[in-house]
Amino acid sequence: MGIIEIIDLKKTYERVTAVDGLTLTVERGEIFGLLGPNGAGKTTTIKILSCLTVPDSGICRIEGLDVVKERYAIKRIIGVVPQENNLDRELTCYENLKIYAMLHRVEDYERKILNSLKTVELLDKKGTLVSKLSGGMQRRLLIARAMLPSPKILFLDEPSVGLDAHVRRQLWELIRGIAWEGRTVILTTHYIEEAEALSNRVAIMNKGRLIALDTPFRLKRELGAYVVEEQMGNGKVRYHMFHSKGEAHEFARGCACQVTIRESNLEDVFIRLTGERIES
Amino acid sequence: MSSWYPIFLRDMLLFKRRLLRLGYLFSAMVVPVIYLVTFGLGLGRGFYVGGVDYLGFLIPGLVAMSSMNNSYTWVATSLNLNRLYFKTFQVFIQAPVSPFDIMLGNVLAGMVKGIFASSLIVLVGLLIRSDFGIGFTFFVVLILNSFMFSCLGVITGMITKSHEDTATYSNFFIMPMAFFSGTFFPIEKIPMFLKPLIYLMPLTYTNLAIRGDLRELKTMLNTGVIFLFSLIFFVIGLKLIANYKE
Repeated sequence: MGIIEIIDLKKTYERVTAVDGLTLTVERGEIFGLLGPNGAGKTTTIKILSCLTVPDSGICRIEGLDVVKERYAIKRIIGVVPQENNLDRELTCYENLKIYAMLHRVEDYERKILNSLKTVELLDKKGTLVSKLSGGMQRRLLIARAMLPSPKILFLDEPSVGLDAHVRRQLWELIRGIAWEGRTVILTTHYIEEAEALSNRVAIMNKGRLIALDTPFRLKRELGAYVVEEQMGNGKVRYHMFHSKGEAHEFARGCACQVTIRESNLEDVFIRLTGERIES
Repeated sequence: MSSWYPIFLRDMLLFKRRLLRLGYLFSAMVVPVIYLVTFGLGLGRGFYVGGVDYLGFLIPGLVAMSSMNNSYTWVATSLNLNRLYFKTFQVFIQAPVSPFDIMLGNVLAGMVKGIFASSLIVLVGLLIRSDFGIGFTFFVVLILNSFMFSCLGVITGMITKSHEDTATYSNFFIMPMAFFSGTFFPIEKIPMFLKPLIYLMPLTYTNLAIRGDLRELKTMLNTGVIFLFSLIFFVIGLKLIANYKE
């Protein structure tokens, strides 16, 4: 049995279907990526799993607990890093963590707060107001806060949105460290590179539906490990996928237009499945 | 440790930080002090209401009004902003904390702010009129009034769909209540056809009780009505928090 089980989950907001019959299982200890463009239903799925909203229908269980009927028990085993920074900007780093620790009844919280701040390299900022921190520091603090009660499952909703490449990579190291401790991490992202770099398995979502689910490697291999990008005269690009580099080269030699050969990525998988791009 | 405490503590830490800002104390006091000077020391000089001079009548009303304004506004505004813009309210919802604790934490924080602001008016009142009477009834009614309007603030904070809505509710309900429910003049002076409306306003009962004595039946009944309003507002606020979903 997976740590998270979702069966035929549906959620509609004022006639807009956010999640449409989602079914999947998340295994214990994996980093599970939910990948898709804006409006794919990733955040709504996280909101249902983290007890911020309720589904219209379907079954959703975390550690065998129902997300609608056993919310209190679920809240004790999950940690959430939301897409929008919801730290108290007028409180210090330490105060933010202290309030959170008290809400979650964390024992010996003073020591744990200092350890958490040390882990995210913010110990020297413990008395600094959150409003004075950079975006990357605030993201790290959000993760430290979510980790304080030692949750079994950590939800990260678009954790690196708006961060520069260097800070994003620092954040990835932090997330890998959390998974290495044996925790399950559910990550939503619309960054291809992030999903590939972090996820053991990826669920690709579009318009509320699950369109593919596997390891990034298998998803790419199934459609072809190499891509030939053919620059068309009208400014458009046509993508051709091949299982071997030789096949790709062979095809490229026969093209009249300018071509680029590269390894495939999850964006190619998404384009192949939907005809659209993920990242705008 | 009860789970309402971190919610209360968070608000107190924010309150402490805002208190240190120069403008906060001024903004909490300015409106009641303007009324005190204009009506109490200016227009009302030499007037008597029910055997007491106008200043003696006005000060308890201003204290009640100030506790209403500050308890209600702080809770309604902060809850609305925390829910819709800063999303800090969601931290409480996603924590293993009961709706009752979320309600209680917010209400107690609102009470502290209301009582603090009205204490400033009491101080100003004592400076102007040292014989201005503060007794047991005064304190009980002041605390209950802050509780009642903090609960009402939770309701507004939970049902408003934008920050502008909070101001609209305030203009429609709080502002008329401040003027027509016996703060500035006895409600007996109000035309008969308006009286049913006046008796629907919770502040009316505060203004009647805060000037009375709890040993009298009339004041006990008025205090009982405040208690009843408080209970109704608390239950509605609690339901709204319990049913919260995005």
